[in-house]
Amino acid sequence: MGSWCPCREQAYSFKYPSHLEWVSRVRVNHQAVLRRAQQIQGRKQGKNQWQAAWLLRAVTCIDLTTLAGDDTPSNVHRLCMKAMQPIRHDLLESMDMQDKGITTAAVCVYPARVTDAVKSLKLANFSLPVASVATGFPAGQTAMKTRLEEVRMAVEDGATEVDIVINRMLALTGQWEALYQEIRQFREACGEAHMKTIMAVGELGNFTNVYKASLVAMMAGSDFIKTSTGKESVNATFPVAIVMVRAIRNFFLRTGHKVGFKPAGGIRTAKDSLVWLTLMKEELGDEWLNPSLFRLGASTLLADIERQIYHYVTGRYAAYHELPLA
Amino acid sequence: MAARGPEKTVGDIFRSMEFGPATPSSRAAAQAWLEHRSHSLGLFIGGEFVRPADGQTSVVTDAAGGSVCSTACAGDEDVAAAVAAASGAFKVWSGLTCPRRARVLQRLGDGLQRHSQCLAELCEMTRCPCPASALVRLAQYYAGWAQLRDAVLPGWSPLGVVAVLVSDDRSLFAAFLKVFPALAVGNAVVLKPGAGTAPPALLMAAIFGEAGLPAGVFNIVTGPGVSLGVRLAQTPDVNYVTYSGSKKEAELLVRETAGSCAPVSLSLLTDAICPFIVFDSADVDSAVDAVMEAVFGKARECHWVLCVQESIWEGLAARLKVRIAGAKCLPLRSESDRHAVNAAVQEAQQQGAEVIQPCPAPSSSSLYPPTVLLGVAPSCPSVVSPPPGPILPVLSFRTATEGVTLGNHTPHGLAASVWTEDLTLALETARSLSVGSVWLNSHSVLDPSLTVSGVKESGNCTDGGREGLFQFLRPSVAPARSPSSPLPLDYGRFGTTGSGVLLPQAVGGADASRAPRSYPQLVGGRQCAADSGCSLQVLAPGGSVIALCPSSGRKDVRNAVEAALKVQPGWAASSVPWRSRTLRSLAESLERRGGDVAVALSAQTGCSKEEACREVELSVFRLSEWAAHCETRAGGGGAQALPQSGMALCLPEPLGVIGAVLPDAKPLLSLISLLGAAVAAGNAVVMVPSEKSPLPALEFVQVLQASDVPGGVVSIVSGHRDQLTRALANHSVVQAVWYCGGQEGAQYLQWACGESPKRLWVRSEDSLWERCEAALLEELWAQAVRWKSVWIPTA
Repeated sequence: MGSWCPCREQAYSFKYPSHLEWVSRVRVNHQAVLRRAQQIQGRKQGKNQWQAAWLLRAVTCIDLTTLAGDDTPSNVHRLCMKAMQPIRHDLLESMDMQDKGITTAAVCVYPARVTDAVKSLKLANFSLPVASVATGFPAGQTAMKTRLEEVRMAVEDGATEVDIVINRMLALTGQWEALYQEIRQFREACGEAHMKTIMAVGELGNFTNVYKASLVAMMAGSDFIKTSTGKESVNATFPVAIVMVRAIRNFFLRTGHKVGFKPAGGIRTAKDSLVWLTLMKEELGDEWLNPSLFRLGASTLLADIERQIYHYVTGRYAAYHELPLA
Repeated sequence: MAARGPEKTVGDIFRSMEFGPATPSSRAAAQAWLEHRSHSLGLFIGGEFVRPADGQTSVVTDAAGGSVCSTACAGDEDVAAAVAAASGAFKVWSGLTCPRRARVLQRLGDGLQRHSQCLAELCEMTRCPCPASALVRLAQYYAGWAQLRDAVLPGWSPLGVVAVLVSDDRSLFAAFLKVFPALAVGNAVVLKPGAGTAPPALLMAAIFGEAGLPAGVFNIVTGPGVSLGVRLAQTPDVNYVTYSGSKKEAELLVRETAGSCAPVSLSLLTDAICPFIVFDSADVDSAVDAVMEAVFGKARECHWVLCVQESIWEGLAARLKVRIAGAKCLPLRSESDRHAVNAAVQEAQQQGAEVIQPCPAPSSSSLYPPTVLLGVAPSCPSVVSPPPGPILPVLSFRTATEGVTLGNHTPHGLAASVWTEDLTLALETARSLSVGSVWLNSHSVLDPSLTVSGVKESGNCTDGGREGLFQFLRPSVAPARSPSSPLPLDYGRFGTTGSGVLLPQAVGGADASRAPRSYPQLVGGRQCAADSGCSLQVLAPGGSVIALCPSSGRKDVRNAVEAALKVQPGWAASSVPWRSRTLRSLAESLERRGGDVAVALSAQTGCSKEEACREVELSVFRLSEWAAHCETRAGGGGAQALPQSGMALCLPEPLGVIGAVLPDAKPLLSLISLLGAAVAAGNAVVMVPSEKSPLPALEFVQVLQASDVPGGVVSIVSGHRDQLTRALANHSVVQAVWYCGGQEGAQYLQWACGESPKRLWVRSEDSLWERCEAALLEELWAQAVRWKSVWIPTA
């Protein structure tokens, strides 16, 4: 399962002691970050086949997500089917991309729906990672014991990726060591499963805290750091992403260890997904353009990408009913 | 594309994830305009495009070397015609009411907005990129000043015809940063743009016409090199010349035009070396991104030198390496630059610098890889005289003080970028850097609302804001400048021979008690005789010898300047209330000893006792005025909002050491007026009293000694005027010379300032010392300070 994921093996074995002096030295200049983000957003995107190819790459990085109170086995099943076949087959064929294994990177659901997703994929005889959010998602305001238990249960049910949320109280009050210890416990609980740590950037107050929390999460063994739950008022913005990928680069320069990045929440348009890829390419390099190190947490994004690809192939804009539902 | 082989498929790109090819930007609008002008641009004189008299043209090329259009080469007749058109139109333009002028500039702003696409394309084609939005901002900002001139600056009048000269490597923005304020306050302008900026400047002229600018108010003459600029500056009807460009051209311009032309102010921005200082409290990632953009980005207007605090050296170097690895090669200005760049890189490497490049430099082609030279010595040629190429020398420093020292250790003083999140450190550093603009946690941002002066070799011009307008104005009570022609002057010999150095001692006959008193001068706070030991006779109007004064020379000036240099930083750093109090104490001291000074005055000038007393009284009043000025103005205007988010500080700072050569008339009042301005602003001043009537100044030495003014802040050096003028002109520490003497001396100073740009302020002898006009004080104040703007962008 997930053999394309090279950081898998190193992930679990990787444990880094908490280097709190790295955290204490962090300085982030808000306006300079905004400026850099503007620069990246202002970069001209490729057209035609460049656009199509980049969009397809974006598709392979999507964690196709449903996190709603009314999720049932049936819509989770639909989600899994869409994840397996994200772009209409005839569209892929006309680009000669039908055999390139274009699927989304994973599906992402609530812990209670993990079994449904695993079952759907098994029935279809298709191997695709199932990610589960956990640890009292989205607020994280539950007892440590239940949060840990939640992680273990999700892994037991067959989730191979767990998206945990950090304890914002610890971050906001500057208890970085305690935060490190908590995330370490989640890491242990995840076992062999991939761990993505959600910073909930909208609730951290400022960029400096985002940077610090990112460093702590990476030191504690996160495979990915993720912007937000999608439930806060501020979600994945480009400036905050700049801060987080800088933390990733910093961590890589210091330790040689590559940590992935997952923006999530509010990513809806194909154009956005191109900017995200540009940001990763500019800030971290081509290696971070793969699902092993980059994910886009999204639910409606895929529909827009498919429409854009439809336009590239046919030269027309599709009506919504012309493309399969998720 | 097709030439590069088979079209890339979606699959290929999906694998490689390369960026798409840059789509060439459209040139349709610019092409259409050029087409309309048949790709051959004339001069713009008297509101229309005209062909040059002798029909000579030169070709403007684009980046690929293709011809964009041809521009005319103006001859002497064309220059004369342009200036004549401007002087004619000046009467119309300056006669309009402020709101009328403002409306024209506002319409102009709208016009620029409408034609911004065409303008941007034309700038792109001629390789002098300039965002049209910046020009729109200029037009709108100065429309505001046009509206408010009479309300905010009563008592000021426009100069007349202003010549704006711009070298080939300056942008359109640099040219119009001068043109707009000149027009806004009511001058007429003749612009000589650079080769590349000529086509967009001519397009601007057309837009000016469309906006309803009266014909002749704005004219453009084009042509190669500095010689056209010299000819333009020498035209008698030109009242003010402002030049923006390189030091070499400026020197030529100044030397060629000395004595013949209006005041020349210089903004020497080309090839300036600017420090980029990163402290350990900085957001290092942002600093690295910014330095990459500043050094290897599109607009490379100056040479940056990166100064990094030692404690973050490793982290910063690692990030730079990551960034450089992904960078693309950049075009050199010309193929011939490659050799110089290569040599500088090799030299740095031999001196132990680590060279970081994304790829080795290709042996030919006009592209060069971005190159970082880690750990160069401050003496390395790549730092001292950087070659024109994408090169970033990186130096380390240990402490904040050392960082500032490193940053200040260049002959330039254009700008600096300072990176730290520590507010106190940021502001302290901003204060100590001797540059015009300090960009905190940012770089290369400009706005006309901020006042910026050139420091050291970066020029002697103050631009932007309210203070930047004074260069284009004169106090209404002062007479307009009358044209003069240069005198035949041997610059090499000027002021070298002290005519008639003689010392006949037996003047008073046998009666020793009636022998003329020998006055000391004041050098560095000590009363002393001249270094040479010689004296000069001071004659009363009747011809009798009334005193002996020291006959000083170069060495005395040197001693005075050295002493001034020592004490000036402390004086400038002392609090504003303290400086003000000191000036008041000087006023009191003068009041107490007024009797002695008045006696000296009447003995020297032969005026009546009452007149002498009145001059003393007026001088006391003037000193009190300066004390008040110091109290209220020396602190600056406070913070200012920026068009982007954040704020800026505009700080008036002292120049340093000023030399003042005093007039014969009103020997005391003129001395006090100039001394007050200089000292109130925090400068030290070396004053040369009139050769003819030095006695009041020498008597004033006693007043100074009895006051609280720190020794060395004011020196009074008497002697032959020309000799002392020469000594002041040739001392690089002296930042400004105020000269109230003959035309010869003024001409010599103009000539000599070509070598090291000083602020030169020349007044004819019979100035209006007795007038208490606000504008006259304002004029002196503007000469006594320079402005620094500190950008503090926030989110």
